[in-house]
Amino acid sequence: MDEERLSGPPTIETVEIDYDRLDVTAIMAQVKRIAAATPADPPREEFPETPAVPPAPRPAVPAPIDPPPGRKAWLKTKIHRLMSPFFPLIRLGGLPLHEDIQAAVRQIDTANRRLDELVERLQETSVRFDRRLDEQAVGFQGRLDALTDRVDFRLVDLDRSVDYIKLLHTLDHNLVVETTKLRIEFEALKSKVRILEKELDAQTQREKALEKRLLS
Amino acid sequence: MKVAFVVQRYGLEINGGAELHCRWVAEHMSRHWDVEVLTTRAHDYVTWADQYPEGEESINGVRVRRFSVPKPRDPQRFGRLQNFILEREHTEKDELTWLDEEGPTSPALLKFVQTHSAEYDYFIFFSYRYWHSYWGIRSVPEKAILVPTAERDPVIELKFFKDLFRLPRAFVYNSEEERTMIQTISGNADIPGLVVGVGSEVPADASPERFRRTHGFDKPYVLYLGRIDRNKGFPQLFDDFLRFKAETDSDLALVLIGHSILPIPDHPAILPLGFRPEQDKFDALAGAEALIMPSFYESLSMVTLEAWALGRPVLANARCEVLQGQCRRSNGGLYYGDYPEFRESLKLLLASDRLRRGLGENGRRYYEANYTWPIIEGKYLEVVRRLGGEA
Repeated sequence: MDEERLSGPPTIETVEIDYDRLDVTAIMAQVKRIAAATPADPPREEFPETPAVPPAPRPAVPAPIDPPPGRKAWLKTKIHRLMSPFFPLIRLGGLPLHEDIQAAVRQIDTANRRLDELVERLQETSVRFDRRLDEQAVGFQGRLDALTDRVDFRLVDLDRSVDYIKLLHTLDHNLVVETTKLRIEFEALKSKVRILEKELDAQTQREKALEKRLLS
Repeated sequence: MKVAFVVQRYGLEINGGAELHCRWVAEHMSRHWDVEVLTTRAHDYVTWADQYPEGEESINGVRVRRFSVPKPRDPQRFGRLQNFILEREHTEKDELTWLDEEGPTSPALLKFVQTHSAEYDYFIFFSYRYWHSYWGIRSVPEKAILVPTAERDPVIELKFFKDLFRLPRAFVYNSEEERTMIQTISGNADIPGLVVGVGSEVPADASPERFRRTHGFDKPYVLYLGRIDRNKGFPQLFDDFLRFKAETDSDLALVLIGHSILPIPDHPAILPLGFRPEQDKFDALAGAEALIMPSFYESLSMVTLEAWALGRPVLANARCEVLQGQCRRSNGGLYYGDYPEFRESLKLLLASDRLRRGLGENGRRYYEANYTWPIIEGKYLEVVRRLGGEA
């Protein structure tokens, strides 16, 4: 390995280079170590604005208002009052700050505006969602009330039906009892009829026997 | 075999990005296929306003059909729309509106693709993010090959691109990182795709002396080539370079070649030369201590390949995954993620001529192994062969 220690400032002297096989990655690793040993710079602009885009017009710094008389002055005062929350930002845009800081502030401002916009949209969505839920809840409640009324009506109907069925059961029971009693009575009467038939048969035979005796 | 290259702009005056990439590939592939280019009349990539004459012309032997863009882009409106879709909740319809605004919206070009699709074996679409690719691929998915030229910028995360990446028959990627990114986003690993990239037209007679003589300075310098704007890592590079100068007392200069849309610091060590002819550019590159690539967004970086083709080392922004990956694979450059790393890497490069030569030589070998034109042409032929077409 043909290594050369370079003359010059002490930082450069420490860089070791293999001139037979130059390795940029290895050289840059050493350069980065030397550079890192020096005091840090403020962060530089990450990337400039998008290529081929003409620079956007910068907002003008508002001049102090000395309102002229009349309707124009009234309008100007109103606009001034509306714009007042943004004055610090507008003034910052006009200050002779370093471009890196201005770029950082612009990025933060853009991010803030984006966040504000997202929060606003989130709130709008939330309000819309609540309103929709309320509307749906009112609809559901109406339908629920109607269903409850129908269920109550059905329950009353059911109670009536239960009482009716109980009456039917009682009637049925009584009918069975009466039928049973009638059956027993019927059987008893049937037995009496059978006895009376036998007695009639016996009287008939006795009559025939008495007739035979009388005629003979 | 008849192949149409479909691209947002095309012309000799357009000297960078996916458009130059497309022109070079089209011109080289015209040796193998019957090649046509379908494009717009736009020259300006910001508005896409009609500038070239409508109809057909021949550029370096390739037939070019141009179509009008009836509705040019309004940059302000497009910027607002893009900010909206990148920062806010949005729908797919919003994304399609953004695409219409981005353009180049050329219904005539789309209609031509739809009505003449039977005349072509394949359509090779360049740059996924533009109107012509989105609707063109949807019109002829069975014949579409996409060269995404994608960078890790936020628009690639848009929902409708996920579906788009599942439509073409094949992909031609610029780098391993680009392929990984697109496959992760869209889950399209089952679609054939080769990492190809692009070659370069590097002159054999690049002369550092001529550049120094022309511009009259003899200090050592690092070079930046390309457009000077925020997405390319400016003005951070100015800050880093001037801080490096102040801390190290170095006499290093920073030479800038390319159009600037940012103010350039008035400092004697920073030399903005504006747009220069190709010869001047390569002369400057050949004499640079290193090429600096501070860009955040690159899908390949042709100038990095050109630096390696000339044996020059590269110092790249580590936050661009493609540049960092290329430096690691080639062992042809160092990279930095913050100022301390920039300072130490640059000090290391400047302190050792042997290291610069070694990195440059590795870069040249990497270029010759992967990015010379015979290799690039062979990979395009391989893509078509895999689809079952005769190469």
